[in-house]
Amino acid sequence: MDGLFQKYLRPKKIPSTACSGCGLGQVHKRVLLAIDGLGLGVQDVIWGTGIGCAGRQTFNAWKGDNFAGTHGRVYALAAGLRMALPKEKKIVLTVGDGDAFGIGLKHLLHCARRNLDMTVIVADNFGYQSTGGQFGLTTPPGAVTDSSPYGLSETGWLGPDLDVLEILKAAGATFLARHLSLDGKPSVDNLKLALLNPGFSLVHFIFPCVTHFGAVSLAERDKPLILSWFKSVFNPAYGQDRGESFQKLKDRINPGFLKLKRGLYHDASGSRPDYSELLKAWTDTFRPDRAAPKEPGRAGSGEGAEP
Amino acid sequence: MDETFSIELDFEACKGCGYCLETCPENVFDPGPEHNAKGYRPPVVARPNSCLGCRSCFMVCPDFCLEVSRVPD
Repeated sequence: MDGLFQKYLRPKKIPSTACSGCGLGQVHKRVLLAIDGLGLGVQDVIWGTGIGCAGRQTFNAWKGDNFAGTHGRVYALAAGLRMALPKEKKIVLTVGDGDAFGIGLKHLLHCARRNLDMTVIVADNFGYQSTGGQFGLTTPPGAVTDSSPYGLSETGWLGPDLDVLEILKAAGATFLARHLSLDGKPSVDNLKLALLNPGFSLVHFIFPCVTHFGAVSLAERDKPLILSWFKSVFNPAYGQDRGESFQKLKDRINPGFLKLKRGLYHDASGSRPDYSELLKAWTDTFRPDRAAPKEPGRAGSGEGAEP
Repeated sequence: MDETFSIELDFEACKGCGYCLETCPENVFDPGPEHNAKGYRPPVVARPNSCLGCRSCFMVCPDFCLEVSRVPD
């Protein structure tokens, strides 16, 4: 295990539950690199997880406080936590694409509307892969999956003329970015900005699923070749010189379907107030005797905290 | 002037995906001969002297099992 792992994660999580070649660890690593880069410690972050592949990778992995939500409800739990916790504590949520853009989308929109200070990391593997590879709301059009054996005819949130981040932007999210799990420094930098934003931030990561998406939709078992297909999702020119076997993957699903830009999508950090802070200030006007002490201290840490 | 780097590979944590072999620009890794307890075949660091210290393998490794560090002179 590397130094980053030893510093922030529990040793029982190695080896992780992800398949060989799954990109979830890459997403996890980038989040940890951003936390490390900001100098945050184990005690500064509360880590929430959804379910599915993304939730299982990060479930109970953070050495500090962490919690697991039911499918799509982790934002609702985090909203409650945000109102209870002091604002110095960061809330990081790692969820999957079905969790965020499917069953949990409405919870997500309401967190964005309230601009609650939390960082949502959406690890997107183009479908419901932990349950056997059914199509989801971000599956490429035309993809053959277990539940679309003749090719997907439905339009997902990442369709040719749709973008789910547009909805979140309209709902009031103050920081949005999209990356590939293979992106290096730019993705870590954007994660740092997302963590620093005193409001709702979401970073959408697309990562390779080799077991279901790779083997069924791309009909390929060679992991580095699947990785190359994912690299060409944001860079259609990639892989011109990689020969016939790679062309076969591109013919199966055209990686140019996304037509979306990678990197920073929307940055309005600090432009809207965080509802949890407004709520705390509002309740303090009714109960001046219980207003928060002026000097920063640990909430509920013994004498003096409560009258 | 030449900097040297050491690459530590956690044999038991590796899942043998082969991304580091694919990514390394200097071909530092070779496919490994042995299986670990989980049944995967981790690569071996065959040519550590060719390492540039770019950390591409660290960034691409999904299993927290690679560490690239500069060897002090």
